Amino acid sequence: MGLGLNFTLDPKTKIIILAILSFMVFNDVSLYISGILVLIPFICLFFSNHKKSAIIYIIAYIAAKYVQIYILPTATGLLAIILITFSYTASRMLPIIMMGYYTITTTKVSEFIASMEKSNIPKDIIIPVSVVFRYIPSVFEEIKLITNAMKMRGFGLNIKSLKNPLKLIEFYMIPILISAVKTADELSAASLTRGLSNPEKRTHLLEVKFTRMDYVLLALTIIGFGIYAFNFLRGVAIA
Amino acid sequence: MSERLNVKDLITVGIFSVIIIVLIFIFGMLGYIPILMIALPILAALICGIPFMLFLTRVNKFGMVTLMGLILGIVMFLSGHTWVPILVFTLCAFIADCILKMGDYSSVKNSIVAHGVFILGVMGNMLPFFIMRDFYLNGLRSSMGADYVNVISPFINTPVLIVLIILTFIVGMASAYVGKIVLKKHFEKAGIA
Repeated sequence: MGLGLNFTLDPKTKIIILAILSFMVFNDVSLYISGILVLIPFICLFFSNHKKSAIIYIIAYIAAKYVQIYILPTATGLLAIILITFSYTASRMLPIIMMGYYTITTTKVSEFIASMEKSNIPKDIIIPVSVVFRYIPSVFEEIKLITNAMKMRGFGLNIKSLKNPLKLIEFYMIPILISAVKTADELSAASLTRGLSNPEKRTHLLEVKFTRMDYVLLALTIIGFGIYAFNFLRGVAIA
Repeated sequence: MSERLNVKDLITVGIFSVIIIVLIFIFGMLGYIPILMIALPILAALICGIPFMLFLTRVNKFGMVTLMGLILGIVMFLSGHTWVPILVFTLCAFIADCILKMGDYSSVKNSIVAHGVFILGVMGNMLPFFIMRDFYLNGLRSSMGADYVNVISPFINTPVLIVLIILTFIVGMASAYVGKIVLKKHFEKAGIA
């Protein structure tokens, strides 16, 4: 697999696809349409540097669909609840989670800001959203670190600590909040030195524009969405 | 009055939005236990008091809380809830902002009520279930199985919705009160509140 196959997308494309995918998540779509839409995150992940997660994703999805179609109708009791949890999460949320993962991991903040400014979205929205993009992975990193620190002190995530949920929440929440406040101060200092508070229009080193791949993927998504909307409206008319 | 938000305010909004989003999502996982799915806004209200009160210590301009509601709504939308949260969250946050404004952003009483209102925005995630009840129950039946729907369906009706809103509001205020205490215990000592 040569590196030449990899492509990058415009952040706008990623967000539009994410929005459309999340629009469809609540409803049951017939298999062949959702097939197309499920493949889009897979394609995106596979042709960037996330081949492993792409393959894990598609296998998990197929397994979940299989369970849903062939095993669920006959299962009952506790087993059914576990299976439902698994298959529901996987088949509904996985495409969105993977698309979100792809969007967050492959979009550089500068790229995102450049793309959003190009489409004239006000700064008051761009800056918080780009902070959200940037900070979500760090929070999970932090949670991992805190868990380790707690384990070292004999208060790991186990039955004993789960009996004491208030303490658990306190022990997690306080360090995360303290580091959040610190990060906020550091980030604003960093962005002030970069001149983010300058009201003039910014220039960008990175040039962001739509490529052929953007159009192809967007077209695919919109076609899928169109068929979905058509079916949905027809379904409403009949019902 | 009509002071513009500077970069520092915007970054603070972003950071605290992330914390609240992560909390809501982690507790959202509990939604797979049938009854807890309905109680999700209450759980969110219970948990978000501390970060919200800490956030308020950084707020002194109109618009920051509203903006946070909008950001939360957008992220909810992008993560597979419907578009309803954008509206509901922004609206609730706007009302909360007005309440805070009346207390000049320093009144403890107003902050506590404001959290109660703000956290009602989480109801936006649930509202579609109530408004389009049959549609969603059908969808759930095919995806979550009949057992799940049988457990959940008696709880999805208007009285429950009203009780849920009131409970969320009360729990939100209680948790903001707890948040105030925690703030005193941990953050003022560390000099960051």
